[in-house]
Amino acid sequence: MDKETRDMLLETAGRFFTERCDRAVVNNVEKGEWPADLWKEIEEMGLPLIAVPEDKGGVGGTLADMLALLRLAGEHAVPVPLAETALANLLIAAAGGEPKPGPATLALGNLKLSGGRLTGKILRVPFAGVAERFVCVVDKTLVVVGKGAAKVEATPSHAGEPYGSVTFDNATAEFSGASAVSAERAFELAAVMRAMQMAGAADRVLATAVEYSKQRVQFGKPISTFQAIQHMLAELASCVAATIASAEAASRDADEGGLADGGAFSIAAAKSQCSDFAHRISAIAHQSMGAMGFTHEHVLHHYTRRLWVWRRDFGSESFWGEKIGAAYAKAGPDALWPSLSASRYPA
Amino acid sequence: MSIPKLEFPPFHLPPEAEALRLEVRAFLKEAVPRIKTEDRFASWNTPSPEFSRELGKKGWIGITWPKQYGGSEKSFLERYVVTEELLGNGAPAGAHWVADRQSGPLLLRFGSQEQRDAILPRITAGECFFSIGMSEPDSGSDLASVRTRAEPVPGGFRVNGTKVWTSGAHRNHYCITLVRTSGQHGDRHKGLSQLLVDLKTPGVTIRPIINLAGRHDWNEVTFTDAFIPESCLIGNEGDGWLQVTSELAFERSGPERFMQNFYVLRELVRVLGRNPSGRAAAILGRLIARLWTLRQMSVAVAGMMQGGKSPAIEAALVKDLGTIYQQDLPEIARVISESDATTEDDMADFLDIAQYATMMAPSYTIQGGTTQVLRGIVARGLGLR
Ligand SMILES: Cc1cc2nc3c(=O)[nH]c(=O)nc-3n(C[C@H](O)[C@H](O)[C@H](O)COP(=O)(O)OP(=O)(O)OC[C@H]3O[C@@H](n4cnc5c(N)ncnc54)[C@H](O)[C@@H]3O)c2cc1C
Repeated sequence: MDKETRDMLLETAGRFFTERCDRAVVNNVEKGEWPADLWKEIEEMGLPLIAVPEDKGGVGGTLADMLALLRLAGEHAVPVPLAETALANLLIAAAGGEPKPGPATLALGNLKLSGGRLTGKILRVPFAGVAERFVCVVDKTLVVVGKGAAKVEATPSHAGEPYGSVTFDNATAEFSGASAVSAERAFELAAVMRAMQMAGAADRVLATAVEYSKQRVQFGKPISTFQAIQHMLAELASCVAATIASAEAASRDADEGGLADGGAFSIAAAKSQCSDFAHRISAIAHQSMGAMGFTHEHVLHHYTRRLWVWRRDFGSESFWGEKIGAAYAKAGPDALWPSLSASRYPA
Repeated sequence: MSIPKLEFPPFHLPPEAEALRLEVRAFLKEAVPRIKTEDRFASWNTPSPEFSRELGKKGWIGITWPKQYGGSEKSFLERYVVTEELLGNGAPAGAHWVADRQSGPLLLRFGSQEQRDAILPRITAGECFFSIGMSEPDSGSDLASVRTRAEPVPGGFRVNGTKVWTSGAHRNHYCITLVRTSGQHGDRHKGLSQLLVDLKTPGVTIRPIINLAGRHDWNEVTFTDAFIPESCLIGNEGDGWLQVTSELAFERSGPERFMQNFYVLRELVRVLGRNPSGRAAAILGRLIARLWTLRQMSVAVAGMMQGGKSPAIEAALVKDLGTIYQQDLPEIARVISESDATTEDDMADFLDIAQYATMMAPSYTIQGGTTQVLRGIVARGLGLR
């Protein structure tokens, strides 16, 4: 997708999200309602097929195009599995399959495949409660299992989205094919996807807090005129900028390096960094908004609660930090700078 | 809802910069162990005139400047790579750092032809070193309140006043000094000028100020009826404030604001050994991820500068994040090493390093603009003031 096309798509999608993902829609998802109309419109716009090639009925965008869209979705707390479905469809197409309509999600982790049947249990699968199908990568095989062949125990996330654990017990595949990516890589791609959503949500948290500070009057003036608030929001801006910068750098590296293994280290570093800063970002934003920001009425929690959930999805800072730390320790001190400055794991 | 965006678009250093990196790295691999310095862990403020001369011979000081001054007319991005390699490889680059980073560029931009011809070739040769004469006893964050007075007299200025915290003045050749040349103390930004002061000038007295680690880096520089010739005025009389703020942009944006104590991270990798516990690895990895992020942001700022923008707010933001990281690093490293060092000997050695780094850490968030000053700049960028 050239830059102009991407900008146009993002602008259209941004306008659409602003109009259709309002507070009520997000809150209703939390009450357990599935926004069927919203999903239908998202599909009509082709968004879940953004990174599926045109000859497979997709939009023909790159991984980077998809990730840019998902940052935007994060900025609007879009309460449907657009991210999960877009990545699932990309992986299905890359494995020679035909993406189908309907919400999908990723069930990534320790699974066994034998005789074409899938066995194992994955915890905290995003949108497990509403997904039509689950996409898994086992060894070098991509397996798609329909919801009828899986057992889902719903445990909504702390942001109120229908997460849950998924059990496959000798489940039959709806589709299976040679995966374009390893299981580990699928997890990495899911991590950069979440990092970009976190970047979007963090951006919105900053905008919300800055806006509020200009409107809220205490002691006869907007609180934005208090130096304490200015400095808090400046620190917030730094944490948000770092979140966005790391996610964008990882997104670029993942895209440029190719689907199979591009930007492996950058993704790990970015997801660690984004997860790490989620705490400071939400802590400062909430502090600066007083009781109002702590209400269910205000939208701030749509973003801060997602940050708290997303930082744990597809590897927390502990997970990715350990992976980076173990690799760098193994290579020893002399490899530190050459590897870090090349954005890669030590050889 | 719209607020000004502070974005750091991912930026690739170009191939010529990456090629230069390998050259610089190969040189440092040989030169750094050979050159003895007073510091075990050298950084951008560890001076070694010997090292600076060698770097000058390579053409890596004033690398962006015109060839007529001994520069190489390379891009700002190539300079970026040289600086980060110096930091990443523990080079004692302190002698020429300020001259290369801000004094030379200031003279290039505002200096007279005579000043440029006299000074710049000596800087690029690694033979001429600079101090920064901004702060005074009563003027720190509030720099515009400086009182050092340069009174116009026939042929030049008679200077009286005191500068403090003047790093390296006891070793360096010149000090670019911010003075009041006209108007009154309360005039703030008006009536200030910058003078190129030869530190050997009669009437200029340099006394050491020792920092908490017992080091003599700082000085008090007193001017008592010191005569500074007119030819040493930099730029126009009265333009000092404009010039000094452009100098601060150079001072704030570099990788030295998050790599000053890179040796702590390096030594942490050593002390944790090749096979650390999961907990120790996670802490190490998170630190590496933080540093990587800072580097992505700083490279993005370099890209903006190369593109002709002046990202002053972005630079302040990176310095704020970077110096806080540098302050956290020795502390996090100490705590994890206490539980996870591989041997007692390694541990003793590492605690020594961490202790030294801990003593130096308070300075990071003060020099070059305090955290609070930087946050004021970022807040202005957010439209809050
Ligand atoms: C290692 C080191 C090297 C240095 N080298 C040099 C050098 O070579 N040349 C040189 O000229 N200077 C040098 N400095 C001085 C440095 O520029 C000043 O220390 C710095 O500008 C802060 O000034 P100050 O120390 O007077 O602190 P002050 O300005 O007195 O600040 C004290 C505290 O008050 C806060 N504060 C001040 N104003 C405000 C405000 N408006 N709002 C909120 N908080 C505020 C500050 O953030 C700080 O926390 C060096 C400093 C250090 C630490």
